[in-house]
Amino acid sequence: MKLLLLLISLGIGTTIAVMYSGIVNVAADEPHSDFVYWLLEETRENSIKKAAKNIEVPNLKNPEQLLTGGTDYEFMCASCHLAPGQTESDMSLGLYPAPPNLTIAAQSHEGHEHGDETQSDRKNFWVIKHGIKASGMPAWGKTHDDERIWAMVAFIKRLPTLTPEQYQVLTAVE
Amino acid sequence: MKTTLIKTISKIALVLIPTITLSMAATAHDPSMHVKKVKKADCSKMDHSKMDMNDPVTIAMMKKCMKQAKKANMEMDHSKMAKKMDHSKMDKKMEHSKMQKVDKIIKKKDEHDNH
Ligand code: HEC
Repeated sequence: MKLLLLLISLGIGTTIAVMYSGIVNVAADEPHSDFVYWLLEETRENSIKKAAKNIEVPNLKNPEQLLTGGTDYEFMCASCHLAPGQTESDMSLGLYPAPPNLTIAAQSHEGHEHGDETQSDRKNFWVIKHGIKASGMPAWGKTHDDERIWAMVAFIKRLPTLTPEQYQVLTAVE
Repeated sequence: MKTTLIKTISKIALVLIPTITLSMAATAHDPSMHVKKVKKADCSKMDHSKMDMNDPVTIAMMKKCMKQAKKANMEMDHSKMAKKMDHSKMDKKMEHSKMQKVDKIIKKKDEHDNH
């Protein structure tokens, strides 16, 4: 009992010391250590997996979705998540955690666990709607209804297969 | 006398140096890099021979380009179009029955828009 109390106060003490000493570097141009990165990544992946588990995925094959999702993507997402033929932007280089390049197939994102397609549609919907805390990823659900968000999910599902020309036509305003 | 001159100069410097520094910073990162240009869909590069008419991406592109063509009806330069399109290839690969459907969908949508 005494030992437990000692450990708890030691833990609280360390936390306070770390918080107030200012030794934690919050600069975005200074990456986390491998351990902290792993900690945050696991926490994020499991949180999203759990929260998105029961989301019902609608039909994502309607061409109309590619048109609304496409223009939305170009204006709201491409600055961070890039467009076909583009490899970097101010945002993709400057943000930490870095926004994943959504123009390449999900399987090739380094270190990201991706289940089957339905599962990744669910996760994408959830992330777009709710955003991710303490990262650059905004919650678009505050300003966009589910239908628009599903259209973006449909669009980013096809995005890795699009050529720059196809992308241009789909995302242009008229 | 001398000291007032120095004072005046340093006052001017105090105002000018920050002003100049700030205005330089504004030009350092070319603003044109951050301007999104609103572009029209470039429908001239479509290669009809490679298109799969069942693919939602193809259908979506056709829709967008047909809408655009309708809008620009009068401005279209038909002489140029004839040169770029390879009709011999098109006839073989295109399924006209499906294309009409796309056209109808757009018409329906247009009627909708008029409400
Ligand atoms: C300001 C930059 C920014 C913008 C704009 C932005 N995102 Fe993100 N997005 C991020 C970042 C950063 C992450 C990664 C967060 C993390 O790893 O914790 C992310 C993650 C995601 C993910 C999860 C990807 C994966 O495989 O884990 C999806 C999906 C996504 N964004 C979609 C979108 C869509 C769709 C839009 C536009 C509506 C958008 N984002 C706009 C920065 C942005």
